[in-house]
Amino acid sequence: MLTALWLVPAVGGAACLFSSRKTSRLLSAVFAAAVFAYSLWLSVPYTADAGVWGVVESGPAWIFGIRYHLALDGLALSLVWLTSFLTVVSLAASWRGSFSAGFWASFLFLEAALMGVFLARDLFVFYVFWEATLIPMFFIIGLWGSEGRRHAAMKFFLFTFFGSLFMLVGLLALVTHEHAVSGVWTWDMGALAGTNPQGLAGTLMFAAFVIGFGVKIPLFPMHTWLPDAHTEAPAAGSIMLAGVMLKMGVYGFIRVLLPVFPRLSWELLPWVGGLACVNILYGSLCAMQQKDLKRLIAYSSVAHLGFCLLGVLSWTPEGVAGGSLQMLNHGITTGALFMMIGFLYERTHRRGLADYGELVGRAPWLTFFFGWAIMASIGLPGMNGFIGEFMSLAGMARALPFMAVVAALGIVLSAAYSLPAYQTVFWGASPAGSASSKVTDLDAREKVLVWLLCGLMLYIGLCPTPFLDVLAPSVAALVPYGFTP
Amino acid sequence: MRELLGFFSAPMLWPQLTLASGLLCCLAAGMAREVSASVARLLGAVSLVVALWMLMFTARGEAGPLVGLDGLGLAWQILFYAGGLPVLLSLDEDDEVPAALLLASCLGAGLLAASSSLLMLFIGLELMSLPAYLLVARLPAPGAPPHEAAVKYFFAGALASCLFLLGMALHYVASGSLALSPAPGAMGLAALALMGAAALFKIGVVPFHFWLPDVYESSAPALAGFFSTSVKTAALLLLMRLAALGPAPAGACLPWLGAGTSLYGALLALRQTRLQRLLAYSSVSHAGILVLGVGAWAAQGCDPASAAPLFFYGLVYVFMSNGAFLFVRLSGLSRRPEIAGYGSLRPVHAGLFGVLLLSLAGIPPTGGFLAKLLIFWETVKVGLYGPLAVAALATLVGLGYYLGLIRDMFFDEPKWRPAEPEKGAVEVLLWVCAVLAASLGILPWIFSSALGRLLS
Repeated sequence: MLTALWLVPAVGGAACLFSSRKTSRLLSAVFAAAVFAYSLWLSVPYTADAGVWGVVESGPAWIFGIRYHLALDGLALSLVWLTSFLTVVSLAASWRGSFSAGFWASFLFLEAALMGVFLARDLFVFYVFWEATLIPMFFIIGLWGSEGRRHAAMKFFLFTFFGSLFMLVGLLALVTHEHAVSGVWTWDMGALAGTNPQGLAGTLMFAAFVIGFGVKIPLFPMHTWLPDAHTEAPAAGSIMLAGVMLKMGVYGFIRVLLPVFPRLSWELLPWVGGLACVNILYGSLCAMQQKDLKRLIAYSSVAHLGFCLLGVLSWTPEGVAGGSLQMLNHGITTGALFMMIGFLYERTHRRGLADYGELVGRAPWLTFFFGWAIMASIGLPGMNGFIGEFMSLAGMARALPFMAVVAALGIVLSAAYSLPAYQTVFWGASPAGSASSKVTDLDAREKVLVWLLCGLMLYIGLCPTPFLDVLAPSVAALVPYGFTP
Repeated sequence: MRELLGFFSAPMLWPQLTLASGLLCCLAAGMAREVSASVARLLGAVSLVVALWMLMFTARGEAGPLVGLDGLGLAWQILFYAGGLPVLLSLDEDDEVPAALLLASCLGAGLLAASSSLLMLFIGLELMSLPAYLLVARLPAPGAPPHEAAVKYFFAGALASCLFLLGMALHYVASGSLALSPAPGAMGLAALALMGAAALFKIGVVPFHFWLPDVYESSAPALAGFFSTSVKTAALLLLMRLAALGPAPAGACLPWLGAGTSLYGALLALRQTRLQRLLAYSSVSHAGILVLGVGAWAAQGCDPASAAPLFFYGLVYVFMSNGAFLFVRLSGLSRRPEIAGYGSLRPVHAGLFGVLLLSLAGIPPTGGFLAKLLIFWETVKVGLYGPLAVAALATLVGLGYYLGLIRDMFFDEPKWRPAEPEKGAVEVLLWVCAVLAASLGILPWIFSSALGRLLS
């Protein structure tokens, strides 16, 4: 029952919406935990029967060749885990906040929509869920964000919708193109994979999809919504935004763009891959200049997602697996970073780098875990980030070596923006008027959450095989769609 | 004489005859002293519902030279009557005349749908429009100058009628008949252009839209809802009938006109400070998408069965637009800044309006999204990428004010305390409209088979 994965949180969200403040918090936790447990349990049927497109659940044909069609393969499973896990984490991270019922409901609605995106195998269903993610996130940023929330929420929605319109037109063109070729109306991803439209029409469709997915990643130069949205969102919103929502774009590349346009993806690889390299370098350089902790992590996401995309674009087994694993890694690492900044913000209501100093004395545990997550983010060997980035680059080195070399510079840069910031905030001298005096160390609940995430970072870093094994069948199924000259 | 008898005994006109008798009952009940106006209105509403129900088994075919009903006419009557129903139910004055006028207007639209001749089209158009002019004078918006909009509407409508009559005359000269059949030659084309201009006037397509925002703004909100749904879809049907008459290239300008209108309407709606005027421009924008759909439909050969996307858009729009105007009525808001913080004052009403706005903006999974998708799909099928790009841009611009309203409602602090909203019919209607506007996006399979039967 894959439907349960999105229906249960949706029902839970509705239930939260109509209950009191306290009850809704409890309800949301129960529902999120249930979904997480269910997503773990789903790995059992998944490993038992993993077809090319995974465990399939298909509904009756709808109108115009549209079919309610869900499926679960390794790639989707890893992201389903990530979504349900981070939902639990973000709810737990905001447990103490005084939020209304709508807040808790929004996260369940967001989870429902995200599940739908990752499970959908029909492009129409995919698009509907894709857009549906915007509405809860719009409210999360706009209602519970910080000062600039009004503007950031609007910008977030408009940018993504702008991309989605391109994607919509691309989808319609693709479906109509397929009808012209085969005489069948279908929105099925499996049937459309390998369609391989070419020429001017194909290139335009390809570009429409790149814009549609690229806005979400976000691919340079469509990234400008991200720093605002991440910075203004509440901590839990940032966790979901950076942890899961950015992955939708890369997922779209893997699931739709590359299988449908293998030849164009190869021919235009220098362009799209070039943009991904710009993401890495430009994102890192921007991150160096930031004075705000959240903005810094936001720009570092731009850079990290560039690695994911590069791995995927290489369309080699190690690249796709590495890119997919890096999505998971980035979700965990950045989720942890945003969560810890959220803990800081809860105590002091400041986010500036210059607002802090010498936190090591006041909050040793926070210092320790933040450092841990920073190391994972940089890609220190032994941590999860290393495995993902290494495999992505190894894949790219086979496809376009030059690009891998350029991208590798990004790893150096990531140390160059992360370490000084970490040093200023946690080890440097406390500036005059700093908020450090208000900081207390992590309490038990926070420690458990951070332990969980940091433990996962180390676990994936030392022992990535179980995760790669989950991804392997889908990667093996997807890579043959690729084009080799 | 026989023709006259044939006219009245035509089974395809039964819904219209029901409406006519409802109209008479309504007037008669209003004249009787001891019967209150609400009973008269109820009679009118019942006749609308019965007419809707009758459509289920109304026969199609020709009756005499004037009357002929095809799937298109049958389906569009649903839009006319469904669009009139919320307005009729939300009237609350102690007066039966507005209800009677409204029924007369619906009757006119119904006759327009069941006509197989230009003459009948014209009669239907006039019967629909004349009561509409009176309604504007009778039911002005609170605080609006009483007769200005009515007079403006009347003159704009009269101009459209003149154009249509002139076109009809030319058509008669060119083809020797008033039947709905193509007229040859340059004169036939000129006739078509004139009549088409009249239809575009009625729809409010740029550059024939100038009367529309004033009229919508100065009418009672529910009435504006009626104009934007029933009256507009009737004019749309007129346009479709004319598009089917012309040679294929005649419809080639429609997609661009429609796309341009949708962008223009969206851009102007961005700047509006009065809520009803904003919705009026939004209605211009939606009409543009519909005209774009007509263009795509015409480019595919004007097959009635393939008009399903247009019908679906019209159906969803009936609920979206009526619902939005009903919200204006229920909340009593008139200026746009007043909506700030409405979400914290009345969360349920604001939530319903929010759903309607999302649907108007075309965000999945609402009905407005599916409707827009189907129209866009039709344009892709005929390769009209230029107008499609413009219409997509209009959708993006439209998000600016639809989402802006949601933002103001929910993210801002209330600065202004609105009057306590009335309970009762209007609130129920708002619920119905919002729920339908949202659920039509995921439930159309209920309609898809019925729709096929209806339009074929």
